[in-house]
Amino acid sequence: MQTPVFLDHLPDISTVTGRKPELYRLARNRALTDLQLNDNAAWHSRSTCPACGEDIARSRIFSRNFLPFHRCQGCNSIYSAKVPAQQELDRLRQELPAASPPDSGEDREFEFISLLNWISLTEARTETRLETVLDYRFCSQAPGFEDAASRLSHKRSWRFLPLQAGAEDGYGQLRQVLREHAPKAVLVQAEMDRVADPALLLRTIRETVAKGTVVFIGTSCADGLEYEILGADSPSFIPLDRLNLFSVKGFEQLARDSGYTVLEASTPGRRDAVLLEQHFNSAENEHIPFWSSFFREASKDRLRDLQILLQRSLKSGVMRFALQT
Amino acid sequence: MTLRTAIIGYGKMGRIRHEAMERHGGFEVVVACDTQIDPDATVPMVTDPLAVYGYDPDVIVCSVPNMMIPDVVCEALARGKHVFSEKPPGRNSQDVRRMREAEAANPGLVLKFGFNHRVHDAIEEAKKLIDAGTMGDLYFIRGVYGKAGGPNYAQNWRNDPEQSGGGILIDQGIHMLDLFQMFAGRFTEVQSFVQRKFWTEVPVEDNAFALMKNPDGVIASVHSSATQWQHTFRLELYMRNGFISVDGILSASGSYGTEVLTVALNRLDKDGNPIPNPECQEIRFTEDLSWDKEAAEFHAAIADGMPVRSGTSGQALDVMELVEAIYAADPEWNAQLKSRVISAAE
Ligand SMILES: [Zn+2]
Repeated sequence: MQTPVFLDHLPDISTVTGRKPELYRLARNRALTDLQLNDNAAWHSRSTCPACGEDIARSRIFSRNFLPFHRCQGCNSIYSAKVPAQQELDRLRQELPAASPPDSGEDREFEFISLLNWISLTEARTETRLETVLDYRFCSQAPGFEDAASRLSHKRSWRFLPLQAGAEDGYGQLRQVLREHAPKAVLVQAEMDRVADPALLLRTIRETVAKGTVVFIGTSCADGLEYEILGADSPSFIPLDRLNLFSVKGFEQLARDSGYTVLEASTPGRRDAVLLEQHFNSAENEHIPFWSSFFREASKDRLRDLQILLQRSLKSGVMRFALQT
Repeated sequence: MTLRTAIIGYGKMGRIRHEAMERHGGFEVVVACDTQIDPDATVPMVTDPLAVYGYDPDVIVCSVPNMMIPDVVCEALARGKHVFSEKPPGRNSQDVRRMREAEAANPGLVLKFGFNHRVHDAIEEAKKLIDAGTMGDLYFIRGVYGKAGGPNYAQNWRNDPEQSGGGILIDQGIHMLDLFQMFAGRFTEVQSFVQRKFWTEVPVEDNAFALMKNPDGVIASVHSSATQWQHTFRLELYMRNGFISVDGILSASGSYGTEVLTVALNRLDKDGNPIPNPECQEIRFTEDLSWDKEAAEFHAAIADGMPVRSGTSGQALDVMELVEAIYAADPEWNAQLKSRVISAAE
């Protein structure tokens, strides 16, 4: 298994803590509250960690805001103790007009290029040809992606399966599209942390595609310094979008248990350092040994050094896996 | 298939080869030869290279100084033995031609040279990335390989041209040149500066700079140095769509650092021009598997008839000719070489 590090400039802090992301957070939390007020909503309680299967009794409380969240003692993953039905989750995502996270021009374009280059370089290193890729729902999460993927992938054809509420019959539609198009690769970006049953999604893909298919997964990472220091106060922690906040170790185990070979694991998150700097500079009274003064005094150079160190140590708040069936 | 193996030259390299062959499991080292018997050696030892043949080996590992390599290799091939030899393949291209003649006269035998840099993980990854076509056409290559001369520099056989054929370029820089030709084929036009700055009491170069071009117009520049006080390996390949670099190379001493492969694909602006400073992917390699891969390739070539890919005599000839071309391309250095040959003859 390789552990690549993705080196780039630090993101603009306003894309994380500005007004638009705040509105998005509020809207998602309101949706979650409405769901909890709805007596007819069905919930599924979890008794084990969705990554490694460790008993919920062997976990610590991570947060009680909106939903009880636990941190697994076995693998460090963070997960909600109960989850709504997938159909309910899909409906909520589709109903929100502001459901697409904020756009920020060049940064968003660079994020798309990063995903596309990731696929190209993994394709070259694994000596496979990934002529056809299916995007599972990221096009709905990120409206510019479909255009960017089509525009920038010269030797690759893309299929897009957007989020569709109501039509969902488990993963029937995904199965059907996978069978019809038999893609050489599947992109599951920003999805794994917000589905009701991540193991089922992984298994569905593995059982439906041909052997040798590469599955690219991007999701939040519980090992990230932002979650270690800020916990549920991290602005990235939006409960409805983080029902499964996997650790690297936890997701690796889940992937293997689901029948995949793990080709690559990385934590290309670029936000931990700037989020923490912003946090400690806006909360002057907050004191955490070492870190509060570190971030108050850090220059942009130091923040970048730290972010790279976090990536190299697999300790940033976003992770990527390349899996093969 | 277990191959009875004799190691001629049981110094640092001979012992590294011995360990790799033990790890492989398909070799049984039956005898080792060196100028002095090591009482702690785990295999029988002899001091006469011809004495190893009394142990009925299938394979000869040749880890002797450069000037002895052709004799040892040709003798082994003539006796029907497969040969694995260290680099450089002798002192000059004439030495390689002689060994190639012996190889051609014994077509059933395997001859492989230890150009192990080709099979370092970071280098193999770089090759895969380029071969996939993702990076586009190769434009140019830059290579720096250097060290601090080391203890007993002036006394070391490596710096006696009669024994080694040259200085830092033929000893260490040759690996970089071999990689250049692995990526870009033969370089046919060469310009160079070769100099001796620090170790002036020996007649070999402690720095060589060369600029070269292949028939496709790919340009490469190399700097091979014994006064690079900070041990350095850096190989950069620039292509139409991005670049690859390898920083550090895993070595027996560990002093060149871990191997870090960096690769980037350009991001284009709306007009299709590359935006500066693209996102890079960095991959670290911490385990030197090159010795094991070489042992495995050598074994598979003998036991299974697989082709030798790295370290063929053809590659050895190409790189020795390039070394000679670099020495010859600096008129001042070339004049010194010639006067030395004349005074040695007198
Ligand atoms: Zn767990």
